Amino acid sequence: MSLDIPSVSAEDLVLDGRIRLEDLVDREGLDELCKSFLALFGIPVRIYSSDGALLADAAGEQELCAYVNTTPGGRNACATTVGGVKVREPGEAGDVLHPCFTGAAYRILALEYDGRRIGRLIVGPFLPANVAEAPASLLGIDPGIAKDRAQKLLERMPRAKAETVTRIAGHLKASLDLILFSGHKALVTSKMHLASVTESYRQLEDKTSRLQEAFDRLKELDRLKSNFLATVSHELRTPLTSIIGYSEMLSEGLAGEMKPEQADFVKTIHQNGQHLLALIMGLLDLSKLESGTMRLKMRPMSIVPVLEDVVATLTPTARKKGVRLELDVAPDVGQMRGDPERLRQVFLNLTENAIKFTPAAGSITLRARTMREQYVSGDDEDGLALLAPTRARLQVRVVDTGIGIPSRERDKVFDPFYQVDSSSTREYGGTGLGLSIVKRLVEAHGGSIDIEDNEPTGTAFVVSLPQGEPGTAEPSASS
Amino acid sequence: MQINFGGREVALKLVYYGPALSGKTTNLRSLHQLTSEASRGRLMTLETKDDRTLFFDMLPLMLRAEADRGSSPGMTLRIKIFTVPGQVLHATTRRLVLQGADGVAFIADSQISETEHNAASFLDLRQNLKDLGLNPRELPLVIQFNKRDLDRVRSDEEISALAGKGREPVFKASAVSGHGVLETFFGLLHLTWAKLDGEHQLAKMMGLDSTALLPMAARQMGLTGDVTTLLAACVGGRLNRKPEDPK
Repeated sequence: MSLDIPSVSAEDLVLDGRIRLEDLVDREGLDELCKSFLALFGIPVRIYSSDGALLADAAGEQELCAYVNTTPGGRNACATTVGGVKVREPGEAGDVLHPCFTGAAYRILALEYDGRRIGRLIVGPFLPANVAEAPASLLGIDPGIAKDRAQKLLERMPRAKAETVTRIAGHLKASLDLILFSGHKALVTSKMHLASVTESYRQLEDKTSRLQEAFDRLKELDRLKSNFLATVSHELRTPLTSIIGYSEMLSEGLAGEMKPEQADFVKTIHQNGQHLLALIMGLLDLSKLESGTMRLKMRPMSIVPVLEDVVATLTPTARKKGVRLELDVAPDVGQMRGDPERLRQVFLNLTENAIKFTPAAGSITLRARTMREQYVSGDDEDGLALLAPTRARLQVRVVDTGIGIPSRERDKVFDPFYQVDSSSTREYGGTGLGLSIVKRLVEAHGGSIDIEDNEPTGTAFVVSLPQGEPGTAEPSASS
Repeated sequence: MQINFGGREVALKLVYYGPALSGKTTNLRSLHQLTSEASRGRLMTLETKDDRTLFFDMLPLMLRAEADRGSSPGMTLRIKIFTVPGQVLHATTRRLVLQGADGVAFIADSQISETEHNAASFLDLRQNLKDLGLNPRELPLVIQFNKRDLDRVRSDEEISALAGKGREPVFKASAVSGHGVLETFFGLLHLTWAKLDGEHQLAKMMGLDSTALLPMAARQMGLTGDVTTLLAACVGGRLNRKPEDPK
């Protein structure tokens, strides 16, 4: 997408192209200015642009002119004079007097701005101070002109001395110059604004396209990384299977009896092989989850047997450590859609973790509840107020009395390979992959996972899973 | 530079660059006051409420080269002097104003406390010129150490020593009182004219002698002094650098 912005170059500001009178002033305003001069001094004023267009006209016909125009000869002569005035250039000096056959005169002055002529100012007709009587050129123009009447009307013409006209014209030019300057300034300002905005826009567009490129490159790298992980993990598994298989056979005595020391060594090989396999499987899961290639086998299920199985599996481990492991399921926990195998992995992992970090005589509880009228994620969903009450979420809390997780670390524990304290790796073992896989699995189910404190000590991992949407909800007749 | 053959006009663009509050606008105001009304237009200042230049100032000068010799009908030299906004904020405006500049006067603040601002602004100028595709080494550039009237400024000796080592002609000024303003302007006009005349044979076109422009300009601007005296105020650098000098 690109906006069509006229290109404005600051070079325009050097010459400003050609400044045109009609571009810089408001016509009506100019007209008013001229009218106020007419009202003040009684002398008609007209302003022409440099290409001859009449921009402002404060004239009002003089009585003498009206009278002259009633005769054919006068009409002709008047038309010639007015036509001449219209096209007369004010010459080198920029100021010229154009006489009329009536004895009156016009002053034609050049309007300049920034050293250039941009128009003409015409002052008149007025009667020069030295004209006292109707001249022969007026009386002889047509036989229909009566001397008395012509003389009477001539005296009603505005009369002005040359220097008065100069003063009036000078004043008008000064006023006009100020108006032009203001207009020019506004023009320059807006040009600059436009140039400035265009430039900023160009810079932003530049930056955006660079960011987009970087983003595309990162996405590609991320995809390559996931592929790489998947391939490598897969390839690593094959030889590892042999190591585990043969060490197992050795320890079972299939290749003959071993001395106790040899048996010990082989057992260590077998254990570490298993550990390595778990690590590789974890990496594989993670890369599948990240690349989006892990398929969940979603089906109607109940979480209760899953949790029961987890507790049954881990009870021996817990007992060995002297930790109490309990399951507490509320009666309203019903059917949901999910992948039981993956959810088992989630809770197995969380519970294993809890056991690992809980000292002897501590306790761990898996507590399942149905939460109604509470929708945690997606605050700005359409029609939330209507939809939320129809939804229920299953909440499973895995609560321990272990060492706890400082609040500032809580966001990071879900990062791959992260452990709160690297010394804990040595003390408690583990790959650091478990929680990141758990989080992704929960999210793949449309759920969320949070960490809360367990008073007075320990941690509560809170897994929240959707328990049926309107229309998709399984009939919760059982339980 | 723009040449309008039909209208027999040459238009130059000079830019006064420098850090915020170094006195660029004051230079223009003084120049405006020191020159005759016939040769200059109104000083256009687009300023903000807090008395600093938001966008820029512009002072137009018009010099008419009369046809005093030969058959050339004479020519008009229009010079538009711009200032840039010094505030770091207005980087875009600065670059826009700098576009198409024929010469630059760098107005530095002599106060020792401003040393770093001067340097930063100069680096900014250099970067902007490069961004605009101009070679900073080829652009006519003079440096003015302004605010000589203040306390705690770099001493004359230090400035002379610094100027002696550099390429750019250096002028000292106190723009508030008008001191050094014309000197800086003529120094810049001299350099700019020498370069453009060398490239475009402007003098010939205007029916002038290459050396006649500056005295003509001074005359038209209503100055009575001698141009050579103005140029002699330069305390260092290469004012008479030949345009074809590759260095």
